[in-house]
Amino acid sequence: MAEFECIDVSDSNDVSIVRLVDEKVMDPVRVQKLGDELLSLPRQESDRILINMENVRFLSSAAINKLIVLEKRLSKKGGQIKFSNLQPEVKEVFNITNLNSVFDICEAQEDALEQFRSDQ
Amino acid sequence: MNSRIADELEHGWTKVWDVSIASDPLLGVELIKQILDELEQLNWDQGELFGVHMSLEEAIMNAIKHGNGLCENKQVVINARISPTKFYVRVEDEGPGFDPTAVPDPTLDENLTKPSGRGLMLMRIYMTCVEFNSTGNQIELLKVRQI
Repeated sequence: MAEFECIDVSDSNDVSIVRLVDEKVMDPVRVQKLGDELLSLPRQESDRILINMENVRFLSSAAINKLIVLEKRLSKKGGQIKFSNLQPEVKEVFNITNLNSVFDICEAQEDALEQFRSDQ
Repeated sequence: MNSRIADELEHGWTKVWDVSIASDPLLGVELIKQILDELEQLNWDQGELFGVHMSLEEAIMNAIKHGNGLCENKQVVINARISPTKFYVRVEDEGPGFDPTAVPDPTLDENLTKPSGRGLMLMRIYMTCVEFNSTGNQIELLKVRQI
């Protein structure tokens, strides 16, 4: 498995569980690195990805754009992406911008994994 | 032209930054961190700090990246003021400016996955007031705390 700096990746029943490492995803160099690492996932892992955002206290709109690009890339390939463990402020950003209608957001990681199982 | 922000600038500011930085994102990040640390010292709560952080980050990074095109010999002028009850910043770049009224609404279905407009919308949500100059290369943000 590739070495990553901005994400930790583990596997559970063919779902790639991706934890974002940085508490504040804003430094443009890190945002670019995060985007590159996320976009490398669909080729290396399964086409079902769970982004656990428990660590993330802040993310810039540039970082949000990286998540959107991943979602679009994965959807195009027939894959699935879900998000879990959003901090309240981050969840509010997704609500304000209506991205909650694009992203499949679950409260907890286990809820998302259960949904993946029932989607099969 | 009437300006809500101009009316609010006569104020007992606790700390002031009048700086000009090269168009290096890391210099922007460092200044943002300084301002947020000082606001935290003034007991701004985490929810308010999140909104200031989001808005400040968008304003400064837009100036560096889109205004000055990351050209390091172009400057971004930043005038920031904080107090226990108010946050103000003016950010000006050397770019040609843009028309903020022409930015698409990022919450419409057809724009949801497009990259533009989200930052501007978030600034308008989190700040009490957002104003641009007529050229569109200068933005002013004001947050008045509800306490």
